[in-house]
Amino acid sequence: MKLNFRYQDKGTLIHKLNPFVKLAWVSSIVLLAMIFEHPLYLLLLFLATLPVVIAAKGWQEWLSLLRFVLYLSLVIIIINSLVMYHGTHVLLEFTFEIPTLGQPKITLEAICFGLGMSLRLLAIVSAFTILNLTVHPDDMLLAALKLRLPFKSVLATSLSTRFMPALIDDLGRLTDVQRSRGLEIDKGKLIQKIRSRGAVLIPLLSNSLDRTVQIAEAMESRAFGARKVRTYFREIKLTPFGLIQVVAGFLPLIFGLFLRFKGYGGYRYYPSLQKINLNWLELILMLVLVVLLLAILPLATKKRWSLD
Amino acid sequence: MIKIQNLTFSYAGSLEPVLKEINLTITDGEFVLLSGSSGSGKSSLVRCLNGLIPHFYGGRISGTVEVEGLVTINYSTAKLAIRVGLVFQDPENQLVTTDVEREIAFGLENLGLPRTEISKRLEEALDTVGIASLRYRSLHELSGGEKQKVAIASVLALKPQILVLDEPTSELDPQGAEDVLGIISRLNDELGLTVILVEHRLDRVIHLVDRLIVLDQGRIVADGQPAKIMRSQYEKLDKIGFGFPPLITLTQKLIKAGHQVNGLPLTVKEARTVLEAFFRAVKKPSSRINKKINKKPPGIPAIEVEKLWFAYQKEPMVLKGIDLRLCQGEFIAVMGRNASGKTTLVKHFNGLLKPGKGKVLVNGQDIKKLTVAELARQVGYVFQNPNDHLFADTVEEEIAFTLKSLGFENIATRVNNTLQRFNLTPYKKQYPRFLSGGEKQRVALASVLVAEPKVLILDEPTRGMDHGLKTSLMQFLKEYRQHGNTVIVVTHDVEMAAAHAERIILLSEGKVVVDGHKKEVLSRALLFSPQVNRILQGFEKYGVPQDILTVEETLDLLKEGGDGSVDNWG
Repeated sequence: MKLNFRYQDKGTLIHKLNPFVKLAWVSSIVLLAMIFEHPLYLLLLFLATLPVVIAAKGWQEWLSLLRFVLYLSLVIIIINSLVMYHGTHVLLEFTFEIPTLGQPKITLEAICFGLGMSLRLLAIVSAFTILNLTVHPDDMLLAALKLRLPFKSVLATSLSTRFMPALIDDLGRLTDVQRSRGLEIDKGKLIQKIRSRGAVLIPLLSNSLDRTVQIAEAMESRAFGARKVRTYFREIKLTPFGLIQVVAGFLPLIFGLFLRFKGYGGYRYYPSLQKINLNWLELILMLVLVVLLLAILPLATKKRWSLD
Repeated sequence: MIKIQNLTFSYAGSLEPVLKEINLTITDGEFVLLSGSSGSGKSSLVRCLNGLIPHFYGGRISGTVEVEGLVTINYSTAKLAIRVGLVFQDPENQLVTTDVEREIAFGLENLGLPRTEISKRLEEALDTVGIASLRYRSLHELSGGEKQKVAIASVLALKPQILVLDEPTSELDPQGAEDVLGIISRLNDELGLTVILVEHRLDRVIHLVDRLIVLDQGRIVADGQPAKIMRSQYEKLDKIGFGFPPLITLTQKLIKAGHQVNGLPLTVKEARTVLEAFFRAVKKPSSRINKKINKKPPGIPAIEVEKLWFAYQKEPMVLKGIDLRLCQGEFIAVMGRNASGKTTLVKHFNGLLKPGKGKVLVNGQDIKKLTVAELARQVGYVFQNPNDHLFADTVEEEIAFTLKSLGFENIATRVNNTLQRFNLTPYKKQYPRFLSGGEKQRVALASVLVAEPKVLILDEPTRGMDHGLKTSLMQFLKEYRQHGNTVIVVTHDVEMAAAHAERIILLSEGKVVVDGHKKEVLSRALLFSPQVNRILQGFEKYGVPQDILTVEETLDLLKEGGDGSVDNWG
């Protein structure tokens, strides 16, 4: 099934939430996923994104993206277990030798490490998906400008995302063109495969360059760069309540940093897996983190943000 | 007011100027049609008007271009934007944001206007173009015609006195084109905007414009009132491959045959008045012409379609139970509105799509059992944009690529033969993408036909093509068919279908609504008939046969059926 990964205004509470709040919340998750090592914490971060995805009615798009991440995770786990031999629990040992790495062996620890990394990746991708599915690209642009990022770079980024769907259409059409000429993209030896890809990618690249020139012409013709200071027709207004929401979005990050500072959330994979034993205090602290993470949902119901 | 004096321009890296000693004055409120074959310099001239040349495209320039008192070389394009608005060909590649409102505001924001002024101008622009209902829509949901209207509105919001449009309809379907041209002419009529329009569908606009300027190889070769130019410079323009609307050709041929014609008609309505006298004399030869539709005995089928159903996703159904039998040697035009399923249907013929339900047989073989590559030897497919075909370093390699993919032998000989057949031998070592439009089209065609498929599918081959290119493409197709091969074109081009196809298949909502000889399908229709037929529809009362579609047929009719009495009426 072909899915629309473009922003769609589904009118949910999450869509109506001020983009800054979503930015704050998503950066909290992403940063926490990077500083925590403990798989349980990473799992919590990942799970915390699910109710928000459901509230945003984006689970179909989310699922198909996540499927892709699962493939990627599999690759991570396989590669990691093939090249990291620090673990002590050897599951499989090969007899041949890889230069510089030595005799490959697959250890339980390496597999678990791969799993941990995948969990981290899942949490991060899931959080970004929420941002992509619920923030209008142009609002993203406005938000980035509010954060004092330079207009031209922001515009370039937003244009490249705007033309992504056109690029995907192009790719489909160009593949059809070359298949009609007898090209079998996935057949033959590696060299042949690369050549086949070239038959599609070279026109794709040239078409994109043509498109770039045309867009530039069109922008110049509409007074782009006429004035040093540009005005903006729409602006994201941050009401006092919105500000509270933004702070609430950052709260999990602050609390998480505190936890990490206190020594929670670390984990040792090598040489053998650290035992997981949680005391009551840590369980309560984790619960607090979850509550803070999910606080975005009740806050979202409170008030709509206004776009002028 | 635009004043161009002795303008000569060549792009950086090219010796031959694209514009040569152009002298031109355009006064306020004029509606100017700029015409000429591709490569004649139209687009370059248009880009001089708002300073894209020389500010965006470098090169060597001499002479001056003055717009509303500003010499363009001294002002950037961004500064000139409030005086000259430029709308481009491809609606897809001139929109910068993601929804209608933001798109129209984009230029105004660049000017640094306060928010209240932006809202005011936004309202005006939406209403002027009549797209207020689209206001909150996402651009990617809009049709090509709607996008082009948004592009016009976004330029108008800057309040330019001059509106320049570079082939604004060439990427649109007929309905979208009609809408856009209607708006353009209204802007000139009601707001008094100066409009400079580059357009190749002359029959749609020739009667609306005040002035026609024809470019050839960078020079202005004709400039004046359209009717006058069509009358006095027909021969000269015909020689440079100017694409006259059929009714002009018809009238001119009558004049050439020594008949007296009062005035030169530009519209179907005018033509009916001016030419009526000729047809009053026709003595009921309708029976004769009708018999000419030779109901050929059913030939050997090349492609058979049985109860074909197809959908890209679960919903909606794009093809709904299509039954067809396409025979060897036929020239078939598949027509119909956008999204009626034309392209989806023909993509089944070379296996790019596989039937959801039902069957498609190519030369008796079920396509479900064959790969696209296996079918490529039997069915060739040429896509609309030749650029999509081209990726190799040389023309020679481009053509050889198909043969290699398909595992042919004697590649060198086959490539050489094909190069000769398509007059490409001189270019064989050149980079295909740097060739001219017509040459690229030939390379794309050659790269498909080198595999000698018995069936050739072309998707919108004439869209955006000038008259000369169309003629040479049709010549190639004619030669191709002489060997008993089948041609299938997906097209909106009624005139082309009327002149060259035999059989027309009309699709609507995924179903075949009409399938028959062109004389049955394209006659007596309202907009779906060629211009000549629409003229003759007015003369049915005189017994003029209603299945005539082309200028040649009409002339034949007058020769034979007129009893030689045409002169009496002249």
